[in-house]
Amino acid sequence: MVYPLLQVFRMSFYQVTLRKETWIGLENYAELLQTALFWKVLWQTILFTAGSVTLHLLLGLGLALLLHARINARVRNFARGLLIIPWLLAPTVAGMIWVLMLAPFGVVNGLLATMGLLDSGATITWLGSPDTALFSVTAMNVWRAFPFFMVMLLAGLQAIPEELYEAADIDGTSSVAKFWYITLPGLRGVITTIVLLDSIWTFRAFDPVYVMTGGGPTNSSEVLATAIYFDAFQKLKFGYASAEAIVMFLILFTVSAFYVRRAVREIG
Amino acid sequence: MKLADRRPARWGIRARRRAAHIAIYAILAAVTLIMLFPIAWMLTVSVRPNLEVMKIPPDWIPAVFTLEAYNKVLRSGRYLQTFVNTYFVALMVTLVSLFIGAMAAYALARFRFKGQRAVLMFLITTQMFPLVLLCIPYFQVVVKLGLYDTLTSLIIVYVTFTLPFCTLMLRSYFAQIPKDMEEAAMVDGCTRVGAIVRTLLPLSYPALIGAGLYTFLLAWNEFLFAVVLIEAWEKRVITMAIYSLMAEFVTDWSMMMAFSVLASAPLVIAFIFLQRYMVRGMTAGAITS
Repeated sequence: MVYPLLQVFRMSFYQVTLRKETWIGLENYAELLQTALFWKVLWQTILFTAGSVTLHLLLGLGLALLLHARINARVRNFARGLLIIPWLLAPTVAGMIWVLMLAPFGVVNGLLATMGLLDSGATITWLGSPDTALFSVTAMNVWRAFPFFMVMLLAGLQAIPEELYEAADIDGTSSVAKFWYITLPGLRGVITTIVLLDSIWTFRAFDPVYVMTGGGPTNSSEVLATAIYFDAFQKLKFGYASAEAIVMFLILFTVSAFYVRRAVREIG
Repeated sequence: MKLADRRPARWGIRARRRAAHIAIYAILAAVTLIMLFPIAWMLTVSVRPNLEVMKIPPDWIPAVFTLEAYNKVLRSGRYLQTFVNTYFVALMVTLVSLFIGAMAAYALARFRFKGQRAVLMFLITTQMFPLVLLCIPYFQVVVKLGLYDTLTSLIIVYVTFTLPFCTLMLRSYFAQIPKDMEEAAMVDGCTRVGAIVRTLLPLSYPALIGAGLYTFLLAWNEFLFAVVLIEAWEKRVITMAIYSLMAEFVTDWSMMMAFSVLASAPLVIAFIFLQRYMVRGMTAGAITS
């Protein structure tokens, strides 16, 4: 784990071809920062991450609250079991299902046509047009990974002592106030942890974009992970790709520093 | 008069509660249906002929029911081979990670030594690595070792990121189990290893199953390193095989979906039976204490 990191760090200062490595100092970084595409990709990665994490949290919290309501325990376990299934799928498989659903002949267009939102005969090429590609990939990613939030938040909800709610009931507190003053503070630890983790995971995600769009059309859905892969293994610019990877690592490192500090403190 | 006043009010509350109850069930059912729709779609497409898949507008229910796609997958030696490969890789990764991880976790949970904090911090940090970053150097190392295009290379690379996870999860579980029983066993004449096997292992099987399942899931679903490190068809794993079914012009969607169903079924079935442990594994993966 350490050796590869140092290796990438070293390579980011070289021009690397299959045969030889030439020292070029900071040129890779200079080139990187001047490339408009790099900034575009970085921005898209941030959009993809922020969109996924926000929707994961909202969807996960909503479902966790539903499952935590006073319902039959069997129904709860059954529903939780069903809802976890998307998370068990490989990102590749989930990506393919969505490619099929979003295809011009796909079921999403069919659904829109049935609801009268789309003229029959007209089609939207969700993954083929620059305006919707990133959005579509985000939607798939939201669908695949929300169960993680749901399960974690449900576990968090179940850990909040029932007495707090009973005391609030005696005081005649409204349910909105209960949510705001008991539920959310009780979940704060879990929410911080999973939001940090999910941000890290989504920021470095490769599979969803690679299988669904390959970063296209015209880089409109490219994220850092796929850009690094293509630069390294298709354009064979290993040095430049290493520089990109180091920038990505520094960003992730800043975010994960918060997480690591939390986790180590918890271990004590 | 007072009683008569109260009764309608009480009924009102009860009725409202029942309405809220029904609403919760209704919303839950609706959301579950929406969320499972893609899965259902995968299943229905897998049992239609491919021509029907591309009809505009799509048929909601297959007009022709056929298991042809499954037949095609199961009869092709090439695709069956990817299943064998994936099982082999995922099982090896799980066994190695659990074995070494349990030993490392035991050391971290039971002994105090210098640099322990640093080791823990390092293990957690490895979970945060952008894997793409490791792609380039791993590729070079694997080529240098002459392991390019072998399943061994995949096993080694997967273990580098599943092992830290297993160690962390098992450590937190071992730390919760009191030392006393091991000590008692050792007083009675067991060696340390004997004490671990007789007391600690039987108590920690839920954590072992949870960590094992999660590791298996990671190895089974991995895609990036498989693409980078494997070339030949006989060595490919299922995630690559599914991706390679997407052709440039006419994709055999029903075959791809049949393949996806077959590739996901083992995990879903395992999950149904071992849900308890899996949920524990998920929660422990994130909250390490």
